[in-house]
Amino acid sequence: MNRESIGELEELVLLTVGSLADQAYAVLILDEIKEKTGRKIDVTAIHSVLRRLDAKGFVNSEMRGATKERGGRRKRYFTLSPAGRAILDETMSVRWELYQKLPKLTFSGI
Amino acid sequence: MDQEKESYNPPEWAITFLYWFCKPELLEDLLGDLLEIFDRQCEASGKRQADIQFVWLVFRSFRWSALKNSKKLNPMLNTGINFKVAGRVLWRDKFNTALNTLGLSIGIICFVLMGLYVLQELRFDHFHSKKDRIYRAYLLEDYGGDRTFFNSVTPIRFEAFFEEHFPEIDQVVQYAPRNFPVRMSEQDWVDESVAIMSPEFFEVFDFELIDGDIEHPFNDRYNLIISQQYAEKYFRETNPIGRTLDLKLNNDIVPLTISALFKDCPATSSFQFDLAISNSLNDILYGKRARNNWFSVGPETYVLVNENASIATVSEKTQDVVMSYLGEEVKRDEYNIGFQPLTDIHLNPEIPAGIAPVSNPTYVYVLGLIGIVVLLVAGINYTTLSIGKSMKRTVEVGMRKVLGAQRSSLVGLYLSESLIISLISTAIGAVLAILLIPTFNRLTGVSLIYVFAWWHLIGFLLLAVVIGAFAGIYPAFILTNTKTMSVLQQSSTAGGKHWVRQGLVTFQFLVSVLLISSTLIMNRQISYLMEKDLGYNYEAVISIPLFGESEKGGFFNDYEAAKDNGELLWQKLEKHPEFSNLTITSHAFGSEGWAHLAFEDKNGDFRWFRMLGVDPYFAKAFDLTMVQGRNFEEGNTSDERQGILINETAADYFGLSEPIGKQWPGKEFGEHRIIGVVKDFHFSSLHQQIEPLIITQNIKPIFDGVSDVGFNDSPIPKILLKYTGSNLIEAQKMIEADWNATFPNRNMSFSFIEENIKRQYENEARLHKLISTATIIAILIASIGLLGLTVLVVNSREKEIGIRKIIGASPFQIFGLLARAFSWQLGLGIALSIPLTIWLMKEWLDGFAFRTSIGIDMFVASIIISAGIAFLVISFHAWKASRVNPVKNLRVE
Repeated sequence: MNRESIGELEELVLLTVGSLADQAYAVLILDEIKEKTGRKIDVTAIHSVLRRLDAKGFVNSEMRGATKERGGRRKRYFTLSPAGRAILDETMSVRWELYQKLPKLTFSGI
Repeated sequence: MDQEKESYNPPEWAITFLYWFCKPELLEDLLGDLLEIFDRQCEASGKRQADIQFVWLVFRSFRWSALKNSKKLNPMLNTGINFKVAGRVLWRDKFNTALNTLGLSIGIICFVLMGLYVLQELRFDHFHSKKDRIYRAYLLEDYGGDRTFFNSVTPIRFEAFFEEHFPEIDQVVQYAPRNFPVRMSEQDWVDESVAIMSPEFFEVFDFELIDGDIEHPFNDRYNLIISQQYAEKYFRETNPIGRTLDLKLNNDIVPLTISALFKDCPATSSFQFDLAISNSLNDILYGKRARNNWFSVGPETYVLVNENASIATVSEKTQDVVMSYLGEEVKRDEYNIGFQPLTDIHLNPEIPAGIAPVSNPTYVYVLGLIGIVVLLVAGINYTTLSIGKSMKRTVEVGMRKVLGAQRSSLVGLYLSESLIISLISTAIGAVLAILLIPTFNRLTGVSLIYVFAWWHLIGFLLLAVVIGAFAGIYPAFILTNTKTMSVLQQSSTAGGKHWVRQGLVTFQFLVSVLLISSTLIMNRQISYLMEKDLGYNYEAVISIPLFGESEKGGFFNDYEAAKDNGELLWQKLEKHPEFSNLTITSHAFGSEGWAHLAFEDKNGDFRWFRMLGVDPYFAKAFDLTMVQGRNFEEGNTSDERQGILINETAADYFGLSEPIGKQWPGKEFGEHRIIGVVKDFHFSSLHQQIEPLIITQNIKPIFDGVSDVGFNDSPIPKILLKYTGSNLIEAQKMIEADWNATFPNRNMSFSFIEENIKRQYENEARLHKLISTATIIAILIASIGLLGLTVLVVNSREKEIGIRKIIGASPFQIFGLLARAFSWQLGLGIALSIPLTIWLMKEWLDGFAFRTSIGIDMFVASIIISAGIAFLVISFHAWKASRVNPVKNLRVE
């Protein structure tokens, strides 16, 4: 199969972008990941991942929503692109398939 | 920006930095996000934390994907490519690359070794965490005229005195090493140096206690603490804690309990001790008078000043407090107490040495300077070679420019070349330098210790970058400065300003000649010191220190007891035919600090002199010449009781033109009479003038008349004898056998006077060796540079040489052609180096009371050496160039 590969952190960020609907920007993504996984990453890592995802065409972005909070600066909001959705579906289905094949936990030995 | 109340801004410079490197299209939202996080952090944990986090995040944002594609950053972004290209260029010209790397590596070896040595000297005593608050007290008694006593060892009562009167001082500790016999086994006693210290010593200084009662090692006054090394020596593998060790304290055998074990003192410590006892034993160790006296000194006193106080306030107060005690005995400002920072002790020669010796700071700076100069010479090699080479590369630069290369990116490219060379050389140089440390120590007699730390890697990296940048920056600019058109028109005017390159070469010659002539001059002075006729015959003379422990105690009784012991040993030793010229004296040659005595003469002037206690055989044993009067007669009891000999200096100093039969010009001396004057001889090192000296068999009458006494060398008698055999080990065995037969329970030590005398010039000899090493290295580097330059000249003039040869030039003429290129630089270098050398060496020689002169011959020699090496290098190439078939050169087209 010849397609863009996707890393673990990238996948996590991509999922978060999707789950936050049209509210996803770097700081919120960071908070969400921290809350859900307890992982310690800093915002620069998120930015770097988002730039990579953007370059691969998995996300779209637009600048909007100037607030007072950030010195009047706009935020870059990310949304999942169709390609992004496709790759997420694909990885998920592969995982699900494999997961199904795990032997069921049995307690016969006890 | 927003000016809300209570809102903080992160550091401005970090934002500027972000603006500088970040792609503009990413900037707004990235900065926005960072600010949002910053505000949040501000509320959560305060501005400071938030600032730190913000700066950290800005630096973390410095990622490839965020970097601006600007012209400013272009050279940096092209690093990878630059290094690749630079690597190829260097590989193509292997000869030059090898020369450059070799020269720089050698320079770096020298620099690293000298640098480590200087660093070690400068960091001496710096490992104590409270070092900035620790001071050593000194005592300067100044009663006018010659009557000053400057000591950094102090009265014992200073400890209580400081504690009582100065609330600014947190702790006062004293430290005094003394020799005590320690029981090694049932019958065996060994003299060991034992530190007597205040119980709070370890609260002030950071020596590490590792076992036993770490908190209170001197809980009991009969506690003893021991170093790891000595624990091994006395207790082998077993745990020393709780064991006892017997010490002889003033003839009483005292069992001491070992309460703690400490790590051996680091080599960079002024304190060096292996055994220590508490100074609460002072009442056993010292008499009551010594403990309460203001005028007799013993231990060093260190104070730890309170964090909120300064030593200056303490110093100011001392005079008043002193006057409240001593107001009746001394006038104001005669008895001065001062303080010196702990970290100043090792390298400050202005304050007299206390217990540890003081290094000479000038030597340290001179060595540091030499390290830098040698590195400079090595860097210049690269610079001159690159400038030389640049002529060949102008076309390359021109082409690159035509194809649109920015100047900055070209500079980046050429800088990468020098960076590669300097990185490789630094790696080679640093590794070799560290491997060479043992050799370096052995060659030069210093004791350099290297302990690796990770930050050294960063230091070396930094060194490499600095060298690379400095050596490469000038050639890089010269190279890229060329006008594109003129290059492509082949009107070769490039190559940089000639005078810079020639100036650099001149500097190299200057340094080489300077180092060569300095080495030669130092060599001469040191051999002068070693070979100077000292006025006595010290060849193969052995000195055996005696011991004296009389029943009654006291100095005179101990002195006599030691003399009697000497007689016992003498009877055995004199049976060996190999031993001759036996004599018993209070001091031996080759040690500074013979008994220093002072008295007030009949005019009320304060006068110092030295004294030596001897037996009647002394003058004969050392071939001393009598100028007037006569020597002691053997068996003459009147001589033994009251005869004294003086030296010529003493006769002059005290104005005794007809001294025979006269007395020493003081009032209170016991019965004595001058019977002879000996010719001056150098009993102390040649740094010092000869001082007035009394030689006497009976020291008592002289001691009776003096008011001040100082010893830097133990006056307890020694047996001196001359060994005429040839096997030193045999001699040692004979002495040992006789000693053990006479004093079975005592350890023996002995030394050769010749070696002791040599040791007085150890510092000079060491400096000389260090500079000789540096000289050889500098010459090596300079010749490598010259070699490279000659090759370049030959290459650039290939055709000219070829044509000349066809016309019939001899190899000699070709040599002349090449030599002319360097001869005036060599000449100028030599001319400039001469006054510089004379000035430097005058400074150095001023430290000696007896010195050789700086002769022209040494400069002639160094000129011959440096010019010789230069011409050797050049003629090698001339020979090579003249052997090549000229057709080859001319067919290059």
